[in-house]
Amino acid sequence: MLYRLAGVRHTTYRSARGLFPVPFDRLLLALVLAAAVAAPFLASPLQLNSYLIPWVVWSTAALGLNLLMGWAGQVHLGYAAVMAIGAYTAIHSVRAGIPFEAALIVGGLASAGIGLLFGAAALRVKGLYLAVTTLAMQSIVDWTIVHVPAISGGSQATLQAPVIRLGGWPTETDAGRYWLALAVCAVVTSFLLNVQRTSFGRALVAVREKDFAAAIIGVNPFKFKLLAFWCSSFIGGVTGAVLAFCYYRAVTPEQFHLEVSIQAVAMVIVGGLGSVLGSFLGAGLVLLAPIFLNILVGSLAAALSLPLYAEILSHIPLVLYGALIVGFLILEPLGLAKIYDNVRNYFLVWPFRHARH
Amino acid sequence: MDTLYELAELTINGTLVGLMYAPIALGIVLVFKSSGVANLAQGAMAMVGGYLTWAALTLLGTPLWAGIPLALLAMFFLGRGIERLALRPMVGQPVIMVIMLTLGLEIFLRGLTPALFGPVKKRLDIGLETAPIIIGPILIDRAYLLSGVVALLLIGLSALFFRTRQGVLLRAVSDDQTASWSVGIPVERAIGISWGLASIAAGAAGILWGSIQGVDWTLSLLLIKGLAVAILGGLDSILGVLVAAVILGVLENVAPVYLERLGVAGTRDVIASLVILLTVIVKPYGLFGREDIERV
Amino acid sequence: MKRSFALLALSTQLAFAGGVAAQEKMIKLGLALDFTKVYTFVSSEYNQGQRDYLSLINARGGIKGHRFEAAVVDHGNEPQRGIEAYERFKAEGAVLMDFFSTPVSRAIVPRALKDGQNVLTLFHGRSDAADGKTFPTVFPAGALYWSQAAVVLKYISDQEKGDLKGKKVALVGIDSPFGKEPLPVMQAVSAKEGFDLQTFFYPSPGNEQSSSWTAVRRFNPDWVVIWGAGGGQTVSLRDAVRNGIKLDRLLSVIWLSETDTEIVGKDAAKGVLRFEGAASGRDNPVVKAILDEVVAKGKSAGAAEKVGSSYYNIGVAGMSIVVEASRIALEKYGEPLNPDKLRKGLEEVKDFNAQGLIPPVTLTAEDHQGGGRGRISQWDGAKWVPKTDWYAAYQDVVWDLIRKNAEDFKKQN
Repeated sequence: MLYRLAGVRHTTYRSARGLFPVPFDRLLLALVLAAAVAAPFLASPLQLNSYLIPWVVWSTAALGLNLLMGWAGQVHLGYAAVMAIGAYTAIHSVRAGIPFEAALIVGGLASAGIGLLFGAAALRVKGLYLAVTTLAMQSIVDWTIVHVPAISGGSQATLQAPVIRLGGWPTETDAGRYWLALAVCAVVTSFLLNVQRTSFGRALVAVREKDFAAAIIGVNPFKFKLLAFWCSSFIGGVTGAVLAFCYYRAVTPEQFHLEVSIQAVAMVIVGGLGSVLGSFLGAGLVLLAPIFLNILVGSLAAALSLPLYAEILSHIPLVLYGALIVGFLILEPLGLAKIYDNVRNYFLVWPFRHARH
Repeated sequence: MDTLYELAELTINGTLVGLMYAPIALGIVLVFKSSGVANLAQGAMAMVGGYLTWAALTLLGTPLWAGIPLALLAMFFLGRGIERLALRPMVGQPVIMVIMLTLGLEIFLRGLTPALFGPVKKRLDIGLETAPIIIGPILIDRAYLLSGVVALLLIGLSALFFRTRQGVLLRAVSDDQTASWSVGIPVERAIGISWGLASIAAGAAGILWGSIQGVDWTLSLLLIKGLAVAILGGLDSILGVLVAAVILGVLENVAPVYLERLGVAGTRDVIASLVILLTVIVKPYGLFGREDIERV
Repeated sequence: MKRSFALLALSTQLAFAGGVAAQEKMIKLGLALDFTKVYTFVSSEYNQGQRDYLSLINARGGIKGHRFEAAVVDHGNEPQRGIEAYERFKAEGAVLMDFFSTPVSRAIVPRALKDGQNVLTLFHGRSDAADGKTFPTVFPAGALYWSQAAVVLKYISDQEKGDLKGKKVALVGIDSPFGKEPLPVMQAVSAKEGFDLQTFFYPSPGNEQSSSWTAVRRFNPDWVVIWGAGGGQTVSLRDAVRNGIKLDRLLSVIWLSETDTEIVGKDAAKGVLRFEGAASGRDNPVVKAILDEVVAKGKSAGAAEKVGSSYYNIGVAGMSIVVEASRIALEKYGEPLNPDKLRKGLEEVKDFNAQGLIPPVTLTAEDHQGGGRGRISQWDGAKWVPKTDWYAAYQDVVWDLIRKNAEDFKKQN
């Protein structure tokens, strides 16, 4: 009833290939966009700063990783290293006098370049070996950042992000930074939404499914895998820069450790491989779930008067986090996006139970 | 002459340290050989082994000769349990999912174990004195020597094991699961047993390292070293584990000292990762691994 | 990322639950520590000490009717979580925060300076924060790492009857910014006194140090200074013994405790020396009071055996300085207490020694270190026995460094 399909007819190829043929989907999207843009006026400063900005930025990161893992089917356990390269390059560029917008691009390009190097090495192998190589990349980049003072800012090892200047105007308010992050997210989202309609996207899917079959029909798997690595690393670099400027406002080596890489992969998998909406949902769940569980456990402990020492409580998020990943993989491998899909399919034909689809 | 002695000492210690990485790699190889899965939770399992042993020795107060076998037995069942509950449902899923699953397990264990036993570093006393063994101008650590011997024993046992009936069954399963099913080999049980054995290896590593550095969550960091050894040696070769472990251990001990004198400091951390990278670029299947032929 | 949030929300809920009794006057403190990653060796005891001392003060009626509330959060040594905790604390009205982690404190400092929030960085963090003019709201309130190195070197110098020329000193530290902290001071003093300083760094987290100690053995030093923390310290001690270094010629930074000597072996570690910033043990009046009034009633924030351990007492020491400063601020500037008044109060702490727990600390608007005093204590197989009185050393060298680094900070920001 809600997702009314009746009356949705296409008379041109163009409309048939539209991204959101169902009007209700378009309405939902418009509402979400409106809410997102109006968020600084609707949410408290605390919520904006600590929930919304990281959610938006990490969704962008998840989207970039989804391109590589979901569409191209390549494992990447070193995404945080890619983001680190982007963040550090952008900060150093701004300090060297390059305007902020250009610095973002420069950060993305640096990440793409270095990511490509490792990608080229790693793409000789598949599956597990690829995963382990990206792991190795993560620790090598980590080590380089810490041991080269020119990059990490000296033995103090914390680099302050300079003030953002958009077109020369300093952006110091929370709302300004939020909108910047939102803008970057919007660009990346529309890129990913459209990738599946391009030949690039189709080639990626072919390579993911069976790369030698793709080679047979004329799609060069190596070239497209490299392209996917390049694009994904570029997005990762830009996101890392946005993260450093808009959220942390300083960058330290710990922000981009292996843990963070694994969190990024968890966001993608929990959200659903290859799904744009899934990236948002996955990022949100991975960021927020530990909070709720802690509140739950805490209030339980208070209600039952159990003495829970702080150090025990602090391990609970890790436990939950691992259980989340394991649980989702076993029970719903297609992730949160599938759950949303199920709900949508239900409402698509409601009040009927099923219809020919 | 002094430099020669220094080199000799570094090499000997490096060999022993490398042998101590071997049990973790052994576990990874065991699991990979039988089920084709790389168990990235091996480091966390080593940590659990260390904690369980500490619990047996300190909390329950069992004597050394009973506590260690008890802990290892518990590890065996833990490994089989993990395989049954977490891995079995994932049969047939793409490898990236299974890798993520083991990573999720690793995080889960890394959070649960310190929460249950307390996060402060614990002392694991296996009755070794700290005085070193001195051969001429060369010092050898008693703990490392014992660990090296234990690791060698484990590798020898595994090699022998694969010649027993059960071992042959496991080899068949690792070769081709479908064919094994068709001739009546209980594949699930074989995989479960290999996970159990891998856990024992991990537990042994946890005990060895725990006795040297104390037991806490950092034991799970042994994973990267174990992975490097397994990849360098070949993910399905036990002999490879031995050779690669020695190579990695010696490289890690000797190279940073000389590199530091050339001005590049702190390279020890990154040697394992470089080894992985180089292996994958030059010889992806490792020194002794079998080339994987992909069937169309 | 935001795992700490729930813990934060929860503890703010429980701790700041003064909503019902609107008449209650609360002084809110934000304590964010690393309970899960790198500082696990110290954070639980330290935090227990902090909370128990605050419970003691509250049990006695607080300061001028104001009770202290602490919100405790885990940030896992990750600056991003520390930043979230900071924003939360700020929103809840905390007047002072403690992050007890060098990378997190470093990341917080610019924010805190901009917002005028007080940050306690006891025995960690930026050493140049001692310069109160450049860092008005950051308070080390205890011997900086540089001062600790100076105290250690002075002890060595005294043991060698003042003549260090030609002596060999080895610095074995963790290969991280923390491990390299003492370098500037040690190099400066080495140039002054003429001893031969060599450094040996082992990779973090310090589980495997054999190659470094082999090199140390070949250097054949007269004195060894170890600069690690947590697990690496036990490995250092073991490897030192293994390589024939006499433990009574080995000094450690403040982070060496009963837990470490226990893991190495109580007798095996006999003789090792360390820098001490706060007295350990249960002998002093403050800890005795905590035992009688808090622990006896079962209200300790942790296991009762830990009361009086080295790190526990450091936690007590930190909070005692804060409470004293609050008392001064409330007396002179009236209520309600806000970060600015507390800052002024902190800068007026004079000759405060927490009834013998710490050396006399005097903070001023220029000097946020408080004197840089400490003493050397030795492990006798059962406890730490002080070998010297409280003293400070080479403060001219230290303050030169502080000023230089503060200048760099000002230029960068």
